[in-house]
Order: sequence, then C-alpha cells, then structure tokens
Amino acid sequence: MTLDEILQGRDPDRLSELSREDMHRLFWMYKGLLKRVERDTAYWQATNDNLRTAYERLDEQERELARAYQTIRQDLEIAQQVQHALLPKDHPEMLARFEFSVYHKQMTEVGGDYYDFYRLRDGSHAIGVFDISGHGVSAALIMAYLKAQLVQTMEQVSRPRDIVEYLNNATVGFLREVRRYATVNFVAFGERTFRYVCGGGYGVLIRGGEVHTFNKGDPFIGLRRRAYSEYELPFETGDVLALYTDGMVEAQDSAGADYSTRRLHELVRSNAELPAGQILQRCLDDYGQFRRVDADDITLIVLRRRAA
Amino acid sequence: MSDESEPSEPVVHGALMAGFAQACVNLNIVAGRRATALLADIDMGRWFPLAKWMEIERMVGESYANVEPIRLKLGIEMMTLWYHHGPGKALIHRGADFLHFQTGSHGIASVIRGPREVVGSFDLAEFDSGRGHAVIRSSTPFDKTIECGVLIGGVMAPGDLYYVDVTNDGDPNRLVVEFH
Repeated sequence: MTLDEILQGRDPDRLSELSREDMHRLFWMYKGLLKRVERDTAYWQATNDNLRTAYERLDEQERELARAYQTIRQDLEIAQQVQHALLPKDHPEMLARFEFSVYHKQMTEVGGDYYDFYRLRDGSHAIGVFDISGHGVSAALIMAYLKAQLVQTMEQVSRPRDIVEYLNNATVGFLREVRRYATVNFVAFGERTFRYVCGGGYGVLIRGGEVHTFNKGDPFIGLRRRAYSEYELPFETGDVLALYTDGMVEAQDSAGADYSTRRLHELVRSNAELPAGQILQRCLDDYGQFRRVDADDITLIVLRRRAA
Repeated sequence: MSDESEPSEPVVHGALMAGFAQACVNLNIVAGRRATALLADIDMGRWFPLAKWMEIERMVGESYANVEPIRLKLGIEMMTLWYHHGPGKALIHRGADFLHFQTGSHGIASVIRGPREVVGSFDLAEFDSGRGHAVIRSSTPFDKTIECGVLIGGVMAPGDLYYVDVTNDGDPNRLVVEFH
C-alpha cells in the first residue's frame, strides 16, 4: 500500500502498512503544510493588522473631515448672512412709488446674483441687477466688490450710462485679473419713463398689453473698456416691468428644453393686470412645474408704478 | 540600452520589475489607480534604474507595521508568477534546479546589472541534496526577506518538493535553504 493509495482511499487505519520512504514523504508533507500555514497565518495577521490600522486612520480622517466640513459650514453660514445683509431690505421710498416683488435664490449658500435699489444724485430711484460669472463664494466676493464700487460710482455720476461706464472702467482691470465678469441691467426711473443700460441682463416692459423687450446688446462688465448705450421707455401707472437674470430662462425641463424668455414674457403679459406679487408668484409656479432642477442663481423682480 | 554594455548605474530588468509590481498588485499591497499606474509604467523589455525598485520596496515597507511576513509572501508570489506566467517553467523542472540556477550568480546576473560593488552577488555556496540543505550567499541590494521569499517561491514552484524553508537568522546575507 502506497501513501498515494492511502490518501486517495481516506483510510488512516492502513498507515502502518506504509514503507519507510512513504513515512518520510508523509512527514515532510505534513511539515511542509505546517510551514505554509505558519507563513500564511503570519501574512494574514500582518494584513489584518494593517487593515485595522488603515480603518483607524480612516476613522481619524473622517473625524478631521467632519470637523473641517463643520468649519466650512459655519463660514458659509456667516458668508450667507453677510451676503444677505448686502442685499436691500427696507425700501420705503421705493414702495411709496412702486409696487414690487422680488424673488432671489442662490444655488448654494452664497452666489453671484446681486440686485440693489439706489437713490441717484439727481434724486431719482434706480434698480441694478447683476449676475456675476460662476457660483459660490468667489462670485459672492465679486458681488461685495461690485457693491462697494457702485457706492463710489453713485457719488460721481447719475445717468445710467455714465454709472455703468464708470463702474466698468473702475472694475475691468480687477475682473479681468480674476477672470470674472458680470451682466448688468441698470434702470433709473423718471416721472413717466425709465432709462436703462443692459449688458447681458434681461428686462421686459408690459405696456398696454404689449411686450417691450430690453435691448441687451451692450457688453458685460469686466470684459473691456467700452461706451455703453442708454435707452428710454415710457413707464406709467399700470405698466409692469420685470427684470431678471438668466437662471430662470435658461433652466431646462426633463426633455432638455429651455424655460425661455418667450414663456416668461408671455406669462408676465397675460397676468399684467394682477398685483406685482401675484404676477411673480404665477411666474414661479409655472417655472416650478417646468424645470427639472435649478441650474443657476435666480433673480426675478416684478415692478409696477403706483398711481400718483 | 543594449544587453552587452555595462551600465554605470545599477539597472533592473523589466521582467523582474513587472513581476515585483504584479505581485504587489496581486497581494493588494497597491490597489486602484496606484496599481494601474504602477503596472502601466513598466515595460518588460526595458531596464529600469534600481532606484525604482527601491522606491517600491520603500513603499511596501511604509505600508505595513509588521512588514516581514508581507515581504516573504511578496517574494514567493513573484517567483510563482515567474514560473507559471514567465520563463521559469522553461528554465527549471525541479525545485533543486532553481538553486543550481543561482550558481555563479547566474540567475541574478540576468535581472540586475551595473557596478559589481552595487549589484553584488547571489550565489549558491553549498548544496547537499541528501540532507536537503543549501546555502546562498547574497550581497545584492535587495531586501533579504524578499530574497528568502524568492528562494521559497522558486524552489516550491515546480511542485516536486513537500517542504521548503529559508532562514537567515545568524547572518542576513547567508540564506539557508532546507528542502525535502
């Protein structure tokens, strides 16, 4: 009886029949197996120890990440509060002359859409709507910078064209350096008209049931030094003005179609007899049903001149 | 670099590098993008600076608190690959052949080249088949535990031996092989 035959037959009782040579083979086979088990055990033990260490490191890194995330969250909340404080809140003088409603939503805690109300040097009221390229903290920083520049600009000039030109000239160097730009829509109100400068912004006037779209052909702020054009439109009691950024009209539905300026303008036109707040709400309801997801910051201001 | 020229800097053959790298990947010492990058970087037909090998050895050393069993397994895995997926099967037919293959540093000379004081030797110094005993004298720059693994893997690979162990307890450069 050979060792191979015994092993194949699984009959340990016949081990005594093995030759001396086979007994030796069996001995080294057994020792070899023990040695392999010893090496493999040491290997798996080392691997297991390493895995445990890796998990411990991972846990520590996760805790560090959580701490860092918490710090960033807190910083972003502060940034959000700061940015919110930079937007206009009480506008009693504007409210006395205009009925208006504002929707302003940033994609993240802070963003690049910015609007403000102004009292110009000649006493007239004005609105500025800006959309800074990009999103998030960097866009919010540019917004704060533009606001500061606008405050200085207002002290120097009062015509919309002059304001935008002055602002552009004052900021173009910096904006080019940081590779950012901003659309601008600046509207100054007269007694029965308004004058506007529009570089990449969006505006529509509904007057007597007709739609008057802003000429938005002027350059963005921050691209190059250039003269801006100023346009004037009548704006009397009952007329409705809507100013907005591209976030809403460029949002897409699940089929990939844009919400579109045409759809928004028609909605404002067909609801122009309603109070400004309701017009805005109708727009938001329609937009909410249309869009799949918000892809950009959104600002929409609907404004109607009150009866004198 | 031609095979005939004697490089001034030590170099390691791409096939050895590839075996080493593949063993690291098989044993999950490196994984994911690092593994892909490590393997993509190695051309089997080229010679690589010894420093690249040392860099991988260092990386292995830094990855484990208890690295010796890993190094041993790495050497075994390398030679398993060499035998079953490389030229090994054509060169040796029995476990003892692998030991004879080291005579006069024949084996090491085919995979590492450069100044002798740097590349050293890996030479069969004693061989007694009756006792199942052999001694390899090693003065290579490679890690000695990996070399123990290389000897175990190389001698075990043909599958004709039941027991192989390599120790270097007294003198790290004297690798004592016991085989049966």
